[in-house]
Amino acid sequence: MTARLIFTFSACAALLLAVLAGVAIGETQIEPGVVLQVLANKLWGAGHVLDPIDEGIVWNYRLTRALVAAACGAGLATCGVVLQSLLRNPLADPYLLGISAGASTGAVLVAVLGLGAGAISLSAGAFVGAISAFALVLLLARASGPTGASAQIILAGIAGSQLFNAITAFLITKSASSEQARGIMFWLLGNLSGVRWPSVWLAVPVTLAGLAVCLWHRRALDAFTFGADSAASLGIPVRRVQLLLIGCAALVTAVMVSIVGSIGFVGLVIPHAVRLLAGTGHGRLLPASALGGALFLIAADILSRTLIKGQVIPVGVVTALVGAPVFALILVGRRHTR
Amino acid sequence: MLLHRVVTLVASLTLPALAQAAQTQYPLTLDNCASPLTFQHAPKSAVSIGQAGTEMLYALGLGGKLVGTSLWFNDLPAQYKAQNSKVERLADNDPSFESVIGKRPELVTVQFEWMVGPQGMVGTREQFHELKVPTYLMPSDCEGKDNLTGADGTRMQPFRVDSVYKSISQLAEIFDVQPRGEQLNNQLKSSLEKSIASLKGKDLSRTSALFWFSSADMDIDPYVAGRKGIPDFMLNTLGVRNVVQSDEEWPTVGWETLAKANPTFLVIARMDRRRFPADDVEKKLEFLRTDPVTRNMDAVKNNRIIMLDAHAMQASLRMFDGLETLASAINSHDLPK
Amino acid sequence: MNAALPVLSCCDLCYRVGDAQLLQGINLGVHCGETLGIVGPNGSGKSTLLKLLANLRVPGGGEVLLHGQPLKKMSQRTIAQNLAVVEQHADTHDAIAVFDAVALGRTPWLSALSPWSAKDTAIVEQALADVDASHLRSRTWRNLSGGERQRVHIARALAQRPQILLLDEPTNHLDIQHQLAILKTVHALPVTTLIALHDLNQALSCDRLAILQRGRLMALGKPLEVLTPQRLLNTFGVQAHYLTDPFDGTQILRLSSF
Repeated sequence: MTARLIFTFSACAALLLAVLAGVAIGETQIEPGVVLQVLANKLWGAGHVLDPIDEGIVWNYRLTRALVAAACGAGLATCGVVLQSLLRNPLADPYLLGISAGASTGAVLVAVLGLGAGAISLSAGAFVGAISAFALVLLLARASGPTGASAQIILAGIAGSQLFNAITAFLITKSASSEQARGIMFWLLGNLSGVRWPSVWLAVPVTLAGLAVCLWHRRALDAFTFGADSAASLGIPVRRVQLLLIGCAALVTAVMVSIVGSIGFVGLVIPHAVRLLAGTGHGRLLPASALGGALFLIAADILSRTLIKGQVIPVGVVTALVGAPVFALILVGRRHTR
Repeated sequence: MLLHRVVTLVASLTLPALAQAAQTQYPLTLDNCASPLTFQHAPKSAVSIGQAGTEMLYALGLGGKLVGTSLWFNDLPAQYKAQNSKVERLADNDPSFESVIGKRPELVTVQFEWMVGPQGMVGTREQFHELKVPTYLMPSDCEGKDNLTGADGTRMQPFRVDSVYKSISQLAEIFDVQPRGEQLNNQLKSSLEKSIASLKGKDLSRTSALFWFSSADMDIDPYVAGRKGIPDFMLNTLGVRNVVQSDEEWPTVGWETLAKANPTFLVIARMDRRRFPADDVEKKLEFLRTDPVTRNMDAVKNNRIIMLDAHAMQASLRMFDGLETLASAINSHDLPK
Repeated sequence: MNAALPVLSCCDLCYRVGDAQLLQGINLGVHCGETLGIVGPNGSGKSTLLKLLANLRVPGGGEVLLHGQPLKKMSQRTIAQNLAVVEQHADTHDAIAVFDAVALGRTPWLSALSPWSAKDTAIVEQALADVDASHLRSRTWRNLSGGERQRVHIARALAQRPQILLLDEPTNHLDIQHQLAILKTVHALPVTTLIALHDLNQALSCDRLAILQRGRLMALGKPLEVLTPQRLLNTFGVQAHYLTDPFDGTQILRLSSF
C-alpha cells in the first residue's frame, strides 16, 4: 500500500516538474522568475506587474502546450498498451487501426480539396477521417471472419491504413500546391503549435476517461496474456471487452490525432520501455505507461522548440528520432535476457 | 512656310527610323530561365498561368490575344475588367495540361516555376515545347532562385525589381508592342520613386514589420515573409526592417517568437482563396485581436495593421500598388522614435 | 449427489467452419468425478469438442448443458467458475512470472468488491504445489521448458478451483517423464476431468473413453470395452491386440500397422 502511495506521489511530482519545464523553456527566452510570477498571478492572483505578452505566452501558449503534450503522451501510451495486450502483438500501436491514416486523409480533404470551404478546421476533418477509417477497418475485420482473432484485426488495420495513406498521397500529389502540401506535412508530422485552452479541456478529460476505462478492465487485460481463448476460459466476455477497449482506444487516439496530428512512436515504444520497469500486470503497467508517455512527449516538445533557433521542428520528427534508437535498444536488450 | 516643310521633312525621315528602332525583329530568340525561346512572329494567342502574367498582358493592351487565364489570387483592378470579360477563365487555381493545350496557344506565360518546372503541376516546359508551345517563365521566379529546395523555392539572391521590368520588356518584345512596354515600365518606375520619396525624411530606424500570408489552421504557426523575397524587398525599399530572419521565402514561425519581436506594423494578406480558415482577412484580424498574446502586440493595440492584396506580395504590377499602400500607411501613423 | 446426472453434457452438437463439418450429432454426458478420455485420429474433432464444451466457440447446432443449464444462457464468468480449460498451444511473449501466470486463474473470482486477498495467494500456492512447481514460482515464463510450462498451465487451471477440468492433449511435445507425471497428477485430482489424448495406452487409464472419428462419436464407454481391436482397425487403421503385463496384471495395447 505504501509502495503505491510513494509511486503516486513521485509520479505527480515528476509530472508537475515536467510541466513546469515545458512552461519555462521555449522558442524565446523568458526569465524563470517571470514564469513563476505569471503562474502566481494566474493561479492565486498575486498581482505582479508583468509584460502582457510574456504573461500571454506563458499562460496561453506554453502551459496549454505542456498540458496537451502530457495528455496526448499519456493517451497514446495507454492506447498502445491496450492494443498490444488485446491483439497479442508487440508491434501494435494506436495507429494500427487506420486512425492516423484516416486522420491525414480527412485533414488533406479539408486543406487541399477545400472541403467545407474554410469553415471546417483541419482538426474536425481529421477527426471525421479517423473515425471513418476505423469503422472501415472494423467492417473489414468482421467480414474476414467471425472469430475476431487478432490476426484479422491487424491485417484489416494494415489494409485500411494503406488504403487511406494511398488516398492521402494521391490527393497531395494531384492537387496540392507546395504551400498546401507543406501545411499538411507540418500537421501530419505532429504539431503542438495551434494548441490553446479549448484543446486542453478536450484532451485532458478524454485521456483521463480513457485511462479510467482501461484501468477498470485491468484484470481482463491481464487475462489476455495467453490469448483470447485463454481469456474466455478465465471468464472474460471476450468480444464485448475487445469491442469496448478497442473502441475506447480508437476514440482516444482519434481525438488526440485530430488535436495534434500523428505523433508516432509514443504508443509503440513507451509500453515496451515501461514493461521493463513495471512488469506485465496492467494494474501498474497502465498508469506507469501513461506517466511515461506524458513525460516523454513534454520532453520531445521542449526539444522540438529549442533544437533549432527560431524554428519549430514538428514534434513527430523528434519522437521518431528519439523513439527509433530507443526501440532498437529495447529489442537488443530483450535478446540478451533470454 | 519653308520651316514648316523642313520640320515635316525631318519628322517624316526620323519618325519611321524611331518607329523602326522600337519594332521587334523576327525571328526573335531570347533566353528565358535557361531555356531559349524562338518566335517567328508575334503570338496570335496566349494562355496565362498566374495572375501576374495576366495583368501584364492586359496592361500592355494585349487582352485581345489572351484566350485563357488561370491561377488567380485576387479580383482584377477595374481598368482590366473590360478586357477580361472576353477571356475564358480555365481554372481558379492550377489548370490541367490539356485545358491549356486545348486552347492552341502560341505562348504560355507562367508566374511560378513550380507550375511547369521539373516537377511541374501543369506539365513540364519540355512537354509544352515539344508541342511547339513556348512557355515564358517570369524571371522573378527563376533568377537567383533554386526552386528545387525549400517549399516555395529558396532565393539564392534577394529579389530584384529589375526582373519585373524585364518581364514587361520581354513580353512587349515578343508581342511587338515595345513602345507600350517602355511606357508601362516608366510608369512603374515613377510609382516606385514616389513611394520612396513619400517617406523621405522620416526616421524609420526603429520601424519594423511582419508580413502574414496565411496559416494551415487558425491558431497554428503562420506563414510569414522571410528575407530575400518580394515582401522583404518592399520593406527594404521603404527602409523598414523585417522581423523575420529566415532566408526561406515563406517560412513558418511561431507566434511566440513573432509576439516577442513585436513589429511596428503588421501586414496581412487579403485573398479570394478559401483553402484555409486563415485565408480570410477578417479571420486574421479577429485572431490578432482576440488571441491572448497577439492582442497585446504593439501593432495590434495601436491598430497598425495594414491589409494588402496577396497578389501585391508577388512579383507583379500590383507590387507597385502595394508599395504605395504601404508607404501611405506608414506615413499616416506615428512611429516609435 | 446423483452420480447418474451428468455435470456436463451436450445434445446433438454440431459445428461447421466454411464447408467443413467438424462435428456432427455429438451426444455426450460427463459424470461427476470421472475422468473421461477423448481419443480419435487427427482431424476427428477432439479440440473442437472441448472448445464447444467450454463455450469458447458457438455451436452450429445442438446445445451444451452445464449442471443441466444451457451454456449459452450463462455468463462467461459463471462458466469459468465451474469449468477450467488447459489448451494445447497457449503461449505468450510477455515476461510474466510463474506466480502471476498461475494467479490469472483467480480472475473469475475477483472483482471490484472482492479484490486479491491472502486466500487467493494460498490457493495459488496450493495449485503450484499440486503440480510440483512451487520452486518455479519466481521464474519468468520465457525461461521455462515445455514440460514446466504445461505444468504451470495446469496449475493455473487448478487455481480456478473448477469442478470440471478440460485438458486438450496436455502431454503433447513433452518428455515421457513429464507425460507420465502430468497424467498421474490429473488422475489424482478430485475434479471431473475431460482429457483429449493421443496416446492410446495412456487413454486406457481413464474411467471412460469417447472415440471420435471425422466429427462423429463412434463409441462411448469403459476403455477396455470400447477400444476393441475391431474399433482400432476401423477408426485408427491399425492392428491391435491386448497383452497382460505380468508385473501387475494391467492390460496394455500392442499396435502394429499392416
